[in-house]
Amino acid sequence: MLASCAVSVMNNNEPCKVREGRRYPRIGIYTGKGASHSWLWFVEVFDRIGFFDIAFLTETHIRGQGLDRCDVLAMSGGDTFAIAKALGPEGADSLTRFITHGGLYIGSCAGAYLPLHSSKEHLNLFNFVPAKIANLTRTLPEPQRLREKFCTAYGCSFIFHPVREAVRVGTNGFPPFKQAPSLNAPLYGGPPMIAGDSAQVLAVYSGFTEKTVFLVDEQLAADTVLGKAAVIRQKMGRGHLHLYGPHFEHPRFTMANQLLADAMLWDLRRDPVQVGDNTSDPVLLSGEDCRNLLRDIKREMSNSRVVAVGLETLPVQWKIGNKVYETAKIREFIEPVWQRIRRIEKLNQLILLPGQASRLLQAASKTTRLLRKVKGDTNRGVDTLPAARNMFEALNLLSTLFLDIYFRTRLNSFPQTHP
Amino acid sequence: MEYLASNKIAIIDLATRDIIEEELEDDLVLEKIGGVGITKSLYDRFADENPIVLGTGLLTGSLVPGSALSVITAKSPSTGRVSHVPLTLDAGMELKYSGFDYMVIKGAADKPVYLWVHDGIADLNDAEDLWGKDVWAATDRIRDLMGDDLIQVLGIGEAGEKGSDLAQISINYWQSGDRMGFGSLFGKKRLKLIAIRGMGLLEIAEPEEFVEHCAGLLSALKSGKTSGMKGIATMAAAMGEADIEGWLKPLTHKHMACFNTPVPTNTFVFLDEDPALLKETSVAEPGFLLTDISPLLTLKRLGLTAADACRILKACAKYGMDGAAVAELSEKTGLKDPEAIKGSLPNLKGPVSSSGNAVFSPWAAVGNQEPKTWMRREAVAYIFGLHPIFALMAPELTEEKLLEISSLGTGLELTSETLDEVIADITG
Repeated sequence: MLASCAVSVMNNNEPCKVREGRRYPRIGIYTGKGASHSWLWFVEVFDRIGFFDIAFLTETHIRGQGLDRCDVLAMSGGDTFAIAKALGPEGADSLTRFITHGGLYIGSCAGAYLPLHSSKEHLNLFNFVPAKIANLTRTLPEPQRLREKFCTAYGCSFIFHPVREAVRVGTNGFPPFKQAPSLNAPLYGGPPMIAGDSAQVLAVYSGFTEKTVFLVDEQLAADTVLGKAAVIRQKMGRGHLHLYGPHFEHPRFTMANQLLADAMLWDLRRDPVQVGDNTSDPVLLSGEDCRNLLRDIKREMSNSRVVAVGLETLPVQWKIGNKVYETAKIREFIEPVWQRIRRIEKLNQLILLPGQASRLLQAASKTTRLLRKVKGDTNRGVDTLPAARNMFEALNLLSTLFLDIYFRTRLNSFPQTHP
Repeated sequence: MEYLASNKIAIIDLATRDIIEEELEDDLVLEKIGGVGITKSLYDRFADENPIVLGTGLLTGSLVPGSALSVITAKSPSTGRVSHVPLTLDAGMELKYSGFDYMVIKGAADKPVYLWVHDGIADLNDAEDLWGKDVWAATDRIRDLMGDDLIQVLGIGEAGEKGSDLAQISINYWQSGDRMGFGSLFGKKRLKLIAIRGMGLLEIAEPEEFVEHCAGLLSALKSGKTSGMKGIATMAAAMGEADIEGWLKPLTHKHMACFNTPVPTNTFVFLDEDPALLKETSVAEPGFLLTDISPLLTLKRLGLTAADACRILKACAKYGMDGAAVAELSEKTGLKDPEAIKGSLPNLKGPVSSSGNAVFSPWAAVGNQEPKTWMRREAVAYIFGLHPIFALMAPELTEEKLLEISSLGTGLELTSETLDEVIADITG
């Protein structure tokens, strides 16, 4: 096991410096069906740390061999049922193989619910962690606000969300969570958990903050949440699972980011994965060609940004699967790309896979088109749910394609630190 | 230029559709400061190609009270002189945040085009389906097309398309301070409109001191003579026409300020419903924003009701024609029937005196100021990017203070000697 870690979540311009005995991790981030925009929070944190060896994985990748080259899989928030259904038995087998062979699974919010023991269809394929969900009930309490985000059906029961926003979390004070006795982290529907004997509780919910929003009676919220496990570490074969109820990867909570990174390095396998990269040889784009491509991307991203801001003035939201999407979620996808265009402009080079540039431009153009359709239809009073569903899928694809190029470029700009 | 600027100048050739970007060099700012100082310099550089130059003031879009102004510099078809017209409301600010500090538009397109400026990207697009639309319809269309109602549109109507010397460049749906016939320049270049969206950010060299000085200025203004002034009638009162307030009052819905301007110099009137209505109106074209006092005064002198005068100005706005010129010509010809005035728009011709005899649009004329003082004050407003009417009314915005704040904002040493030289160059 590794000693205490030495990464910083403050903005870095270089990849993480890897000390002797440690390896530079290859991290898979799940972006497939059921994932919400919060996978982009993982992107932000890993980018800040300097972990540029990132693979964006859909359910198809995971069902196939996408995890074979990864040390870590980060499963973000979203719709747990949709994720489980999309991964299916093949995905469950892949995950089992990945973890038991030494991989690290980091699950946040929906990603934490996924491997908890369950008897529900699809979810029962992922019974990896013997912990109970504390906010599971057969009788729903009366919601006090945010009715649309208050609960999710769970078979004959319901998962209800007593609070949202920042909560107080107390750590066990031991490695890998020794850097802070307590900290704030945001809760957006993630589980309070009751851990089984085999699981190590790294942190518990210890209190509420002035930012905490109560969706139910405060006493009921306290009874349901406080004292329950907020972060669990579970060994499975040669690997581990780290389950986070609150979003430790939320970019505004740097102490939580730090602990997440520390824990990740703590349980990172020592032996590099021995599978070759089966992707096509990347090509280098520089000079005028690079500038022109970035300009084309920037044009479309700007067009999308303009509509996204325009949509934010309208009182519209969509329920897609079990998740409610407000218009503000659109820019959650766009801004991470937008901010990184400038960074990559300074490098004046891009490392792409063959055909990736045209796919990216097509995705960007399609995204703008769909955004404008949603805006126009909203203005005209037309039902926008089908278009919105397509729009969020397009946004997800666009972000994935761009960030794949971004990280490949950043990684190859500093090849000396890559194993 | 690192601070208070996007650091980009676009040179747009409508004939070839080439768009070249240049950096805004510190040396140019040190020599010409900004706003009209630089638009005039860029005009001179491209003078052989009949350019239209858009530019932002050094302080446009900042926390400095009144920092609403951008400027268009071109050769006026009305006067034959290189002239400057103001871009106010939110258009001046929007240009500042669009990713370009200055834009030179030269040449002429072979078919109608529009310019879409956003996030440091300038795109020339075909405007076949916009050509022929009135100003309001074109504004609606481009906002719908781009998906954002906050887009600022500098466009022309039929008047500009036909090359009328009385055509003006409108700001969204409303009349602008273009008394120079710049609308016909757009028409001759087959440029239907410029759509601008600014979502950029500006860096400030010394942010804390800059904000402190801006707050100090605002505080001084609050106890100054502009405090409590509101509405277009305020300007009329300053010109000795105080009774216009009572004439307009039955229509007055609200007063509206340009970006970060402490005095709301515009008045919104309701023509087809109760002006006291607070809930959202159900009328298809709800009311009209009065942005120019001069035509109102003239139409009032003709004995028109306020409602008829406003309807005439609304027709001018849609047609893209300068309301001050229309009012002046109606007075000259003795035309008093509102419908006849509206019907006369397609055939109206100058010359008119409403273009003034200075290099700056006479749109900002408050009180009986001595011409030299007026000219210098206008120059200062157009250099720093201050609302030109507000700048005339607010002596608190001293040249020394503006230079001091500009130096804090840009990190460049800007002196009163330079300012004198720039003003002499512009007004000489």
